[in-house]
Amino acid sequence: MVLIHIADLKVVFSTRSEKIRAVDTVDLTINEGETLGLIGESGCGKTVMGMAMMGLLPVNAGISGIIQYSGQDLVTAPEPVMQQIRGRDLAMISQNSANTLNPVMKIGDQIAEPLLVHRLYSADEAKNEVIRLLGALGFEDPVQASGRYPHEFSGGMRERVLIALALICNPRVIIADEPTSGLDAQVKIQILHLIKEKVTGNRTLFLITHDLGTASFLCTRLAVMYAGEIVETGPTKDVLSQPFHPYTQGLLASLPSAGLHTIPGVSPSPSSLPVGCRFSERCTAALKRCRNEHPPMKEIGGTRQVRCFLYA
Amino acid sequence: MSRRAILWVGIVVLFIYIVIAIAAPLIAPQGPNAITGKPLQPPDNNHPFGTNQVGQDIFSQLVFGTRITLLYGFFAAFLAVVISTSVGIVIGYYGGIIDEIVCRVIDVVMPIPMFVLLIVLTTFFSPGVVQVSLLMGLLSSIQGIRVMRSQVLAVARTNFVEGARAIGASDFRIMSRHILPNVSSLVMVKFVSSSQQLLLMGVGLSFIGMWDTTTVDWGTMIQNAYSQGGMALGLWWWILPPGIAVIGISVALGMIGYSFEEKFNPRVAVNRL
Repeated sequence: MVLIHIADLKVVFSTRSEKIRAVDTVDLTINEGETLGLIGESGCGKTVMGMAMMGLLPVNAGISGIIQYSGQDLVTAPEPVMQQIRGRDLAMISQNSANTLNPVMKIGDQIAEPLLVHRLYSADEAKNEVIRLLGALGFEDPVQASGRYPHEFSGGMRERVLIALALICNPRVIIADEPTSGLDAQVKIQILHLIKEKVTGNRTLFLITHDLGTASFLCTRLAVMYAGEIVETGPTKDVLSQPFHPYTQGLLASLPSAGLHTIPGVSPSPSSLPVGCRFSERCTAALKRCRNEHPPMKEIGGTRQVRCFLYA
Repeated sequence: MSRRAILWVGIVVLFIYIVIAIAAPLIAPQGPNAITGKPLQPPDNNHPFGTNQVGQDIFSQLVFGTRITLLYGFFAAFLAVVISTSVGIVIGYYGGIIDEIVCRVIDVVMPIPMFVLLIVLTTFFSPGVVQVSLLMGLLSSIQGIRVMRSQVLAVARTNFVEGARAIGASDFRIMSRHILPNVSSLVMVKFVSSSQQLLLMGVGLSFIGMWDTTTVDWGTMIQNAYSQGGMALGLWWWILPPGIAVIGISVALGMIGYSFEEKFNPRVAVNRL
């Protein structure tokens, strides 16, 4: 069952001199219960996608298109409606940076806050719920932990706090933006297992990452993003074992295990996207029409899609 | 003297002033307006600081005067803090046109010296302790809004404020529960510095007669000593006590503010080995 249906999504940042087309154009469906991974390099627009879904784009962002969730278009939804949805139906695990948690609030209070904002529990019940969740997420002494401040925790524990923040209201959809960035290898593995155990399950997870290893571990389906648009989708195993799009092939070839082969060239600037296929300049298999015509998305075999003239 | 010691001296002195103000009837031997002795007497057993030109006990006046002086000083400072904090947070968080408007207004008012502006404004409103305190608080908040706004601008762009929006918190909740606690150090510093400034200013205004001169506060006491011949006759027991009282609390507040500075702005901390 389709839970989120994104159609024709465009996010443009207008500055005085140029228009930055961060997302242009994305069509994506997220089915209930699946874990969809959005893969792409830094700057391809994936974080903007996550922000667009939450309605948290900055004021100078021009958004058009549809993000249909449960009968509601999130693009045109008024702010009070979005405030209801955020945290309760749709929650986000932000990228782990030093500023992601309020430094002067105890983490117990911060995790309890979504419950109080959405009036799901009284203050005391909320406290108990927080302690229960912290225990489930691997905190050995949740009562003591909830009375501590963010700076008293290591990166891995803080990431668990962010996960708790997202899970606390038991939302239907979780958007995770690079949940393991900046964590060392050991901790990263723990967090990935934690997410697999506690976050997926009968919840829908939208994972935004550039790490193919993370994506292959957690995701049932993948969508590959390049220069603001989706270029390939399909079940994880299929996409990784038999990538269709040259960019996906290039990504896989650039892994250390595959030989660290770089893709020549750089991705196009979002303020001056080329006519035709956006990957054509760097594509070893480019045809003549690739430079002039923009390839549409093509369905292949019912479960896969690719945006490439090689398959037209 | 270490910053710790400075802080405590300041706090203790301030505390003493506050106790004197509250317990005035218990400390002062006479009422503030009671005529209990011959005029212009030097200190004696009944009058530790002597008497003024009508025969009122200067010591009692000083003690009772503490009440009103501290009252207008701290009330005006409190008002200044409340206004500058709330306006600063709102315009810093929302930005946009109200930010532009408020900043332009501040640009216009700020260069005008506060003392002069106060004198001019009080001629429009009937002069009195309450009115002057309100105006002092209002004008002092002008400078504070600027400072608060720049701190708020920094906090409002952080990830955790975005995170608070991501869980569905309303703007009001974000401003009160996330931004305000992160600018609380500024609030405290503003209160202390405003108290110091406005206390002094209040005494100054009182000296030039901004309100009923029969009100007993340190400013009117100094005014009396000045105009009724205390200075000409060299009656130190009349001139010095209110002056020293003003200096005392001003220095105490300054000490508190000075030690706050190191706490809240670690860059000015001196490395003491």
